[in-house]
Amino acid sequence: MDDKQEPKGIVLTEAQKKSRRERSIAIALALGVLVALFFAVTMVKGPAVLVRPM
Amino acid sequence: MSIVDHQFDLAAPRISEAGVADYLALLKPRVMSLVVFTALVGLAIAPGHFHPVLAFTSILCIAVGAGASGALNMWYESDIDALMSRTANRPIPRGRVTRPEAATFGVTLAFFSVLTLGILVNWYAGALLAFTIFFYVVVYTMALKRWTAQNIVIGGAAGALPPVVAWVAATGSLSAEPVLLFLIIFFWTPPHFWALALFRNDDYARAGVPMLPVVAGPHATRLQILLYTIVLVAVAAAPWPLGYFDAVYGIASLLLGAGMLWLAIDVYRHREGAAASRGTKKLFAFSIFYLFALFATLLIEVLVRAIAPWVG
Repeated sequence: MDDKQEPKGIVLTEAQKKSRRERSIAIALALGVLVALFFAVTMVKGPAVLVRPM
Repeated sequence: MSIVDHQFDLAAPRISEAGVADYLALLKPRVMSLVVFTALVGLAIAPGHFHPVLAFTSILCIAVGAGASGALNMWYESDIDALMSRTANRPIPRGRVTRPEAATFGVTLAFFSVLTLGILVNWYAGALLAFTIFFYVVVYTMALKRWTAQNIVIGGAAGALPPVVAWVAATGSLSAEPVLLFLIIFFWTPPHFWALALFRNDDYARAGVPMLPVVAGPHATRLQILLYTIVLVAVAAAPWPLGYFDAVYGIASLLLGAGMLWLAIDVYRHREGAAASRGTKKLFAFSIFYLFALFATLLIEVLVRAIAPWVG
């Protein structure tokens, strides 16, 4: 019996791994900006953040 | 013996190699820069104090909303983008990003830009941003663009709305000044895009897009460019005698308007050969400078007024 196992499933190429990592970092940064934005506006508005027109 | 004795030839799932640059290209950065600039002017001329953090949030949401519109436009138009030399290098025709990926990206950005503007600034601005995205994607891209030669005239409203969204974000209300900015961009759009369509006529004809030069011919388009430019110059100067913007703006609008009008007359007069082609390209390039300079005048005036008390 052969001990070597064939890789199962999809194996990403280096280019695919690199672009996936790039996209993951971009998504993380975008989420970070969104969190920072909500935090900053909450600090600026104070309790008034709960009072919204309409 | 197996019940199913033939092999299914399942295609391997496609793994994306799209990088951040491909997704940034989907946002139409050049269009976005003009949107951000006009929105900035809308924000700057709005009365009252608007906290810089809220101003930054508003501009960011408007920029992302504009980017979402661009991505959804590229998703829907990928078939004709592939046929036109100007757009063949976009991420979808090049095979870097698939249509579902572009659609998901666009919808996600649209959702978050509207929601963030609504929650953090005000819901009037959020609703107007949602309407702007809807108008650009559904009314212009899906309905008008392939149907009528008036596509960019009516669709131009979407490009004219960002300063209005910014004003509403700052004030929570609407008044004459942002409407005037809207009208300036609205009447600027036809001469700008028809100048482009004149020297890209073959592209649009090959893709079957009924731009005015394709449908009505170049001569009729040149006349329409001149007529819209006359209306544009009048509309752009009107805020001065009406008392909304001051003399510095008024004189700048007349000088810049004279340049636009001169080039539009040149496009109307030279209809054949190299001079005609050169004229349309000049008008297209100057129209970008015209809008930028006109809005920059308003921005500089606001800055000067803000700095004046400090200088003495």
